Amino acid sequence: MDIFRRKNKIVVPVIKGNGENVKVRCNGCGRLIEYEELKKNFKVCPYCGYHFRMSAAENIALLSDKGTFEEIGEPIHSVDVLNFTDTVPYKERLKKIKEVAKVPNAILIGKSKIQSMETALGVFSFEFLSGTLGAATGERLTEIIEFAQKNKLPLVVVFSSAGERIQESIFSLLQVAKVISAIEQYKNSGGLFVSILANPVLGGVASIAMAGNIIIAEKNSYIGLSGPRISEQVMKKALSKEAQKAENLLKAGMIDAICERHKLKECVGFILKSYNRWAI
Amino acid sequence: MKLLPFEKPIEILLKERKRWIEYGKDTKDLDELIKKQVKEIYNNLTAYQIVQVARHIERPQPEDYINALFDSFMELHGDRVSGEEPALGTGIGFFKGAPVMLIFNRKGHTTIENLKYHSGMSGPAGFRKAARVVRLASETLKIPIVTLIDTPGALISHKSELKGQVAAIYQSMSAFINANVPILSVITGEGGSLGALGIGISDRLLMMEYAYFAVISPEAASAVLFKNTNNKEFIADELGITAERLTALNIVDGIIEEPIGGAHRFKEEAIKNMEKTLEKELDFLKKEPVSDLKKKRFERFRNIGVYSI
Repeated sequence: MDIFRRKNKIVVPVIKGNGENVKVRCNGCGRLIEYEELKKNFKVCPYCGYHFRMSAAENIALLSDKGTFEEIGEPIHSVDVLNFTDTVPYKERLKKIKEVAKVPNAILIGKSKIQSMETALGVFSFEFLSGTLGAATGERLTEIIEFAQKNKLPLVVVFSSAGERIQESIFSLLQVAKVISAIEQYKNSGGLFVSILANPVLGGVASIAMAGNIIIAEKNSYIGLSGPRISEQVMKKALSKEAQKAENLLKAGMIDAICERHKLKECVGFILKSYNRWAI
Repeated sequence: MKLLPFEKPIEILLKERKRWIEYGKDTKDLDELIKKQVKEIYNNLTAYQIVQVARHIERPQPEDYINALFDSFMELHGDRVSGEEPALGTGIGFFKGAPVMLIFNRKGHTTIENLKYHSGMSGPAGFRKAARVVRLASETLKIPIVTLIDTPGALISHKSELKGQVAAIYQSMSAFINANVPILSVITGEGGSLGALGIGISDRLLMMEYAYFAVISPEAASAVLFKNTNNKEFIADELGITAERLTALNIVDGIIEEPIGGAHRFKEEAIKNMEKTLEKELDFLKKEPVSDLKKKRFERFRNIGVYSI
C-alpha cells in the first residue's frame, strides 16, 4: 500500500509569493512553515521540533557571542592532486562549489567567545561538498587544534560531514590520521575538546568526532561509519537508519548528551565553565 | 587454483597442457609459453586487476606468514569489554629470536572461513583489542609492533554501529599514535579505508606489490559517484590505489616485491620476500631512539595533504 501513503519527506522548499513569504516543508512532519519564522526559531520546526541543517555561519552565530568570532590564519583552497574525474572533473566541481558555497573549504575556524569565555572554534560547512574532509579542510582543522594547544584554549568543533572526500582519495583518508595525531597531542597537553555532532557525521570524521572529551549530538542527527549507499554496496544489504540515530547511540552509551538547538550554547558554556583553564 | 577473469589466456594454455600430459607429450615448450603469458599479463595489470589479485582467496594469510617466519607465536584474545573478534587477530610472536607484537586481519582460505571472518572486516571488539595490545606492547612489554593489513574495510552493521564502531576505530588510532615503540605496517592484500587505517598508523608503511590501499573500494566509489557499479574499473584507476602510485605520492615507504604471477601463485617466494623485508625494516626501526621515532611519526602525519593558498 506504499503508493498511497503520503510522502512527507519533501526536501525541496516550496516557494509561494515573491520571495517574501517563502514557505518550507518540514522534513519531519510535512507541514508548511514560513521561512522567516523558521529562521527566528533557530531553524527548528515549531510543530515537531525537527532540526533543519544550519550553514557554518549560522552555527557560528548560534554558538559564539555576537561579533566575537575572528577567523585565524589564511584561508586555503582544495586542489585536484590526482587529476580526478568522475561524472565531472574534480577541478570543475571545486570551481562550481566555491561560487555557490562562498567558502574556500569545508571548515571555518577561528577564535571566539562563548558566554564570554575564550574558545577555539571550528565549524564544518556542509554546503561545501557535503562537508567532506579534503586535504585543505584537514589542514585547517589541524591548524585550529594547534592554535588551541598553543594558546591554551578549550576547543569546540561542530561536525557536519559526509566523511572522506572520494575525489582526494588517499589524501583524504590520511587526513583522519593527521587530525587525530594533532588531537592526541592537544589532549595530552591537557586540552579540553568538546565535539558537537550536527546531522550527519559519517566515516572518518565520525572517528575524529569520537575523540572528543565530551560529545554532544544535536537532535535527530545521524552518526555512523558510512552512508546508506556505501553500506548497501559493501554489506549487500541496506543498513537501517535506526542504527545511526543519535537517540539510539545515546541509549547505547556512545555519546554524552543530546541537546536541542535552543540550549546548545548554554550547554557548551556549562562545560567550558567547568574546565579549569589555569591547570594547563 | 582459482583463475581470475583476466587470466583467460592462461586458462586455455593450462587446459592444453592437461591434454598434452594425457597424450604423454613433453610439455617443456608449453610450460615456457605459460610462463611467458603469465609474465605478460602481470607486467601490464590495470588498477582494478590488481584489486582482484589482492582479493585472491589463495593469497598468503597471516597464519601462513606466522607459521613460516616466526619461531613461536601465541595469540591474545578479547578486548576485555565486549568480546572477541576473530577477524582481527593479535598476539606475541618471536621473529629471529626477538619478540614482536603482531596485529593482523584474518580472511581465511575458504568460503566458509571467509563468511566466519566477514571477509576480514573487523567489528568494534577487534579495534578495541588492537588498542589494548598496542598499549600492552608500548607500556609493559616494550616490544615493536608489526601489523599485517588485509581488510576490505571496517564492518558495517546494525550491531557494530551501536557498539561504537567509530569510537573503537578512534581508540585504536589513538593507541597507535601514542605508542612508545616502533610500529611497522605492511598491507598484504586489501587496504580498505578506515578498517586499514585503524591498525595502519605506523612509522614505516609498506605495501606488497599487488596490494591496494584506498579510501573506499572501487565498487563503493562507483556506487556513490555514478549510482551504479559499472564504472569500477575506471574509478579504480582514478583513485590511485596501487603500490606504485602511492609510492610516487610519498604515502607508502616501500614495496615488497612479489614474484611475477602474484603471491597466491608462488607462496613460498612471497613469504621469503616478506622475511627479508621484515628483518631489514625491524633492524632499522629498532636502532632509532623512541623519542625521535615519535617526533618523526607526528611530523609524518602533520605534513600529509596538498592544498593551495
